Amino acid sequence: MGKRIAITGGKGGTGKSTIATAVAVELAENNRVLLVDADVDCPNDHLILGIKRNKVKDIFQPIPKINKKKCKKCGRCAEVCRESAIVQVKGEFPVIIPDQCIGCSACMIACPFGAIEKDKKKIGIVYNGSLKKNLDYFSAETELGVEEESPIINALKKEVERVEKEYDYVLFDTSPGTHCNVISALQGCEEAYSVTEPTPLGEHDGELSLKLLDKLKISFKIILNKSGIGDRKIIENLEKKYKTEIITDVPYSKSIIENYSKGIPIEGRSIKKFAEELTRGEVEK
Amino acid sequence: MSDIKYLTILSGKGGTGKTTVSSNLAVLFARKRKIVGADCDADAPNFGLSFGIKENDFSDWQEVQTNEKAVLDESKCAGCKKCLEVCNFGAISWNEKINKPEFNSMLCEGCGACELVCPNGAIKLVKINNGKIASVKTDYGFSLASGQLNIGATGSGKVVTLIKEKASKMAQNEGANLVLSDSAAGVGCPVIASIQGSDFIVAVTEPTPSGFSDLERVLGTVEHFRIPYGVIINRYDLNFQFTKKIEDFLKKNKIPLLGKLPYDKKFIKSLINMKPAVIEYPELTEKFEKILKKIKDNI
Repeated sequence: MGKRIAITGGKGGTGKSTIATAVAVELAENNRVLLVDADVDCPNDHLILGIKRNKVKDIFQPIPKINKKKCKKCGRCAEVCRESAIVQVKGEFPVIIPDQCIGCSACMIACPFGAIEKDKKKIGIVYNGSLKKNLDYFSAETELGVEEESPIINALKKEVERVEKEYDYVLFDTSPGTHCNVISALQGCEEAYSVTEPTPLGEHDGELSLKLLDKLKISFKIILNKSGIGDRKIIENLEKKYKTEIITDVPYSKSIIENYSKGIPIEGRSIKKFAEELTRGEVEK
Repeated sequence: MSDIKYLTILSGKGGTGKTTVSSNLAVLFARKRKIVGADCDADAPNFGLSFGIKENDFSDWQEVQTNEKAVLDESKCAGCKKCLEVCNFGAISWNEKINKPEFNSMLCEGCGACELVCPNGAIKLVKINNGKIASVKTDYGFSLASGQLNIGATGSGKVVTLIKEKASKMAQNEGANLVLSDSAAGVGCPVIASIQGSDFIVAVTEPTPSGFSDLERVLGTVEHFRIPYGVIINRYDLNFQFTKKIEDFLKKNKIPLLGKLPYDKKFIKSLINMKPAVIEYPELTEKFEKILKKIKDNI
């Protein structure tokens, strides 16, 4: 069974995907690796690695459809909908606003006349792909304008569950921040690495990420990216406060970002160190 | 009736320079007209930090309740599993030992489906504190509304909506006619909440494959709401070829290019010193003034 490891972080642009893709390539030298791009808002791992994505399936969520023959215009559906996705003017048929609907089905349960049928709307797509022997890829992408993303992550995780026993490591690259799609991606991961940068913004958002991991009871460590641009001490303070460790410092240079802009994955000592950290645990077991 | 304009800065990809653009534009706008800033990234709020404002500098933190969570009254539960079947968010699991459901509050959307389906009235939805909002005066002649989603809480978009409402009220009280919002990364619920009600959107991108791909996604989201927008290419000199590619894309789709900003360590130093770049390095002012003028022409 593949060990599920999350690469996450509070602030955007600190290098989650850069580091997740780099360590996936490094680990795949000697292990079977599945890279899961769980940043369903803006998946980029395939762009960084030049992986051609294949569509696995569309993801749907249920939405209500009013059966006008059965509907008695009682307004109960609009009353129970907490997302304001159903509007009803007295004496008229209710109107459904698909953009607002999160697919909870509360209206269908509440309707006393069985007048609400299940329709569906497409909310995303699951993709897979492969870079080379030992390095496969899964991802999902949200349809634009869809707000409720946990069902998309859950659909992605279901696909991953189907194949993960074939891998030694399953790396989950999450969205930045602490909201629901990050939480959904983190749940089920055995350990997490929070990527941050030594700036006041990296410190602030990095701490939020660590607090979330603490709350989810996932063991975590810190990866310090863009090392050298600011003050390492502020991240060392987090290291002490959360009794964790900075396992590697990824240096910052204009050449790294120039390479990134050309789609060349980073490599080097700092990434090797991260890969060693991930594999060392296995040896101890 | 006041005529307040809403300007929102976003990017899709994180770290392309939203907050840098927002803070510098805010300072320059505030020299010319009365504005209010809004930090619409309740997940990881940084707008205040770019002005040197930390959490404790806000004096009026107010808890907000935008979400509800399902809570079980075990004494009424008959163990029928109907709630388990109906939850579309994986928030209910079954505890075989006691034959009762268990609710994962972090996954619960507070939709109420389980409450409705329960034949015994054993499930109630209760309001929970899921965030807080506050305001502060910056050192640069304008006020800022901000907020913070509680750790592990859901409802990021709804907290953003409250921050925007607060900023709007502040603008009315202070006689400001512009609310400038710094949005979260991505295209999900907090970003959609930031976009809604905006008069003009500024999307910040960078000349990288990820920056470009995410720009297209976030612009697609903006189009969904039919709001006019323009684009800033940040660090354009990192890859001239790719910058050209983005410029061609903008031209082809008749999207206004509001300006290009260079890669400059001064921006990083400004973030570290928590002062907008145009304050620390006035020589950068001209670049932002040009962008500001183009935005003004559009709103």
